[in-house]
Amino acid sequence: MDLAKYRTIFIEESTEHFAEISRALLELEKDPASAEAIDVVFRMAHSIKGMAASLGYDSITELAHRLEDRMQIARDAGRVGPHEELSLLFRGIAALEGMVNAVSEQGEAPMADTDLLADLATLAPSVPSKKKDPTGAEAAATPPGEAPAAGAKPLQTPRPPPTVRVNTRTLDRFLSTVGEVILNTSQVRTVSEAETGQNTALSEGLDRMDRIVGELQRRALELRTTPLLRILEPLPRAARDVAERAGVRVEVQLVGAELELDRSILDRLSDPMVHLLRNAVDHGIETPAERIAAGKPAVGRIVVEARREKDTIRISIGDDGSGIDLEAVRRRAVEAGVLHPDLAADLTPEQIAALVFEPGLSTASEVSEISGRGVGMDAVRNTLESLGGAVEIATERGRGTTTTLVVPITAAVQRVLMLGVGAEVVAIPIAKVERIEEYPSDKIERTGGDAFVLLDGDLVPVLDLAARIAQPSAAAGRLTHLVLTEVRGERIALSAERVASQQQIYVKPVPELLRSARALLGLTILGDGRPMFLLDPNQIA
Amino acid sequence: MARVLVADDASFMRQMIREIVEAEGHEVVGEASDGDEAVEEWKRLHPDVVTMDIVMPRRSGIDAVKGIIDLDSTACIVMCSALGQETLVQEALQAGARDFIVKPFKPDSVIATLNKVLEKDA
Repeated sequence: MDLAKYRTIFIEESTEHFAEISRALLELEKDPASAEAIDVVFRMAHSIKGMAASLGYDSITELAHRLEDRMQIARDAGRVGPHEELSLLFRGIAALEGMVNAVSEQGEAPMADTDLLADLATLAPSVPSKKKDPTGAEAAATPPGEAPAAGAKPLQTPRPPPTVRVNTRTLDRFLSTVGEVILNTSQVRTVSEAETGQNTALSEGLDRMDRIVGELQRRALELRTTPLLRILEPLPRAARDVAERAGVRVEVQLVGAELELDRSILDRLSDPMVHLLRNAVDHGIETPAERIAAGKPAVGRIVVEARREKDTIRISIGDDGSGIDLEAVRRRAVEAGVLHPDLAADLTPEQIAALVFEPGLSTASEVSEISGRGVGMDAVRNTLESLGGAVEIATERGRGTTTTLVVPITAAVQRVLMLGVGAEVVAIPIAKVERIEEYPSDKIERTGGDAFVLLDGDLVPVLDLAARIAQPSAAAGRLTHLVLTEVRGERIALSAERVASQQQIYVKPVPELLRSARALLGLTILGDGRPMFLLDPNQIA
Repeated sequence: MARVLVADDASFMRQMIREIVEAEGHEVVGEASDGDEAVEEWKRLHPDVVTMDIVMPRRSGIDAVKGIIDLDSTACIVMCSALGQETLVQEALQAGARDFIVKPFKPDSVIATLNKVLEKDA
């Protein structure tokens, strides 16, 4: 029997099981007597044990077995023990997850932590048995601390809808082929336009083909999208872990997790979301004592909300914590040399808040083990911008902070503006283009290495695209086109010789060799077969 | 060549049993992922033998055994259990299961048990 494919199934199924276990454990935190949740954890542990045993992963089998035994005790008692018991279970599950990951990455399961195994083996003393209580009294069923409030509804984490499992490589190849069909169709059209002349049948045929291919494209894009739930689901549990270590209490609510986003974008949002969540718990939420003193409920509240707005999805993480100390940020920015002291006084609160995205500005605690992981706020911003999106931050001292990721709905097809620069044609995403103006190139003010124009009463910096991509600049005395756009909240003008058209193009990822060129967002093949690069204005500026 | 119904909530396990059973030349005519489905599929397919996992959601394996035996006392059911579930296996045998196999599966033991059970039936 070939065990290799069973290993893959083991990893896939275990991953799904872990998600269900997490949901169930979080449910048990609010309702320790939830028979359904206890059953879920029991069965999932049992299932993982069975699979691991079949594959000879003894250490995983052993750990899963201990967890299963623990859950059996809970089943018999009708409830899970108090806080420490749940922490122990969370620990056990985290360790199990780690071991399954090790199998996935290295092919072997490491030994389990002996302390953990010992802890799991000690009988839970304070779990009263529901079955045999000779005195007949309702034994101390309520653990010390607060009983779950009568009628408290556990915050429901949404269940994912039924799905079909498809090998991702197969899907990607399929979508890639669909993309080729789309590109080829437009090529055929270009060529045939020259030939058809009065051939109406051919013309009509091509129109029909266009419509059908357009439909195919829409369907293919639908296949690429996945509910946000996939990256939002782990957040409540991650928050719990960070909160425990930080000595605060927090509750996470997910709204809009059923919204869907292109898979490739979704995968890149995972790390930023976790980082922002950790920040919210670690720096935002105050200790229960501080909160009560401030008139807030002891348990901090974090709302992760996703909303669709035209072509984008806005995912915001909002906390009701202490808000960002803008003064401290301003001071650190000046200290770090990021901000000139003379300019520091003039900044608006929004501009100061935006400074948290500057690299090298991490406060000491941000570099701490909890918020670390090599993903700073600057990396969050870079990731969003490379996706054609942005990050926004709003804060109010004492009330809380909300960070919003703005993400385009799909990376694959974008509306772009095509610009002729020297002998090249390049494209920029049209989303941020405010307007285009013709301007005599000799009227552009040049001082030192910078160039400016006066537009609408403001001094707007001008970037010569030709210089940026090593093409000959427009000859002096000619009219140039100024494409007014926004880079990091600032208005700038990109100067280009020619403006071609606005188009919707299917963007292919940049080939491996060119990945290090951060200014390239992607490429497409034009109707005549030439490649055209999509540039990132944020990186060129 | 027997017609087999495989009941287990883990698709991993169902696949493994299927592979073992088909290698021996039998036919897997159906799969069930919980106790309710096991009884439903038994009614629909009337297989020669059922491999039934003990721990399943909704209706447990033991309950499903009772359900099937109620419909046909000659039904041939083999329980699949993990180590350390002796009491449950006993219960299942008392409910009408013919024999049992233990996870992790050794292909030879699975085949031997199935053949034993099918022989008695013939």
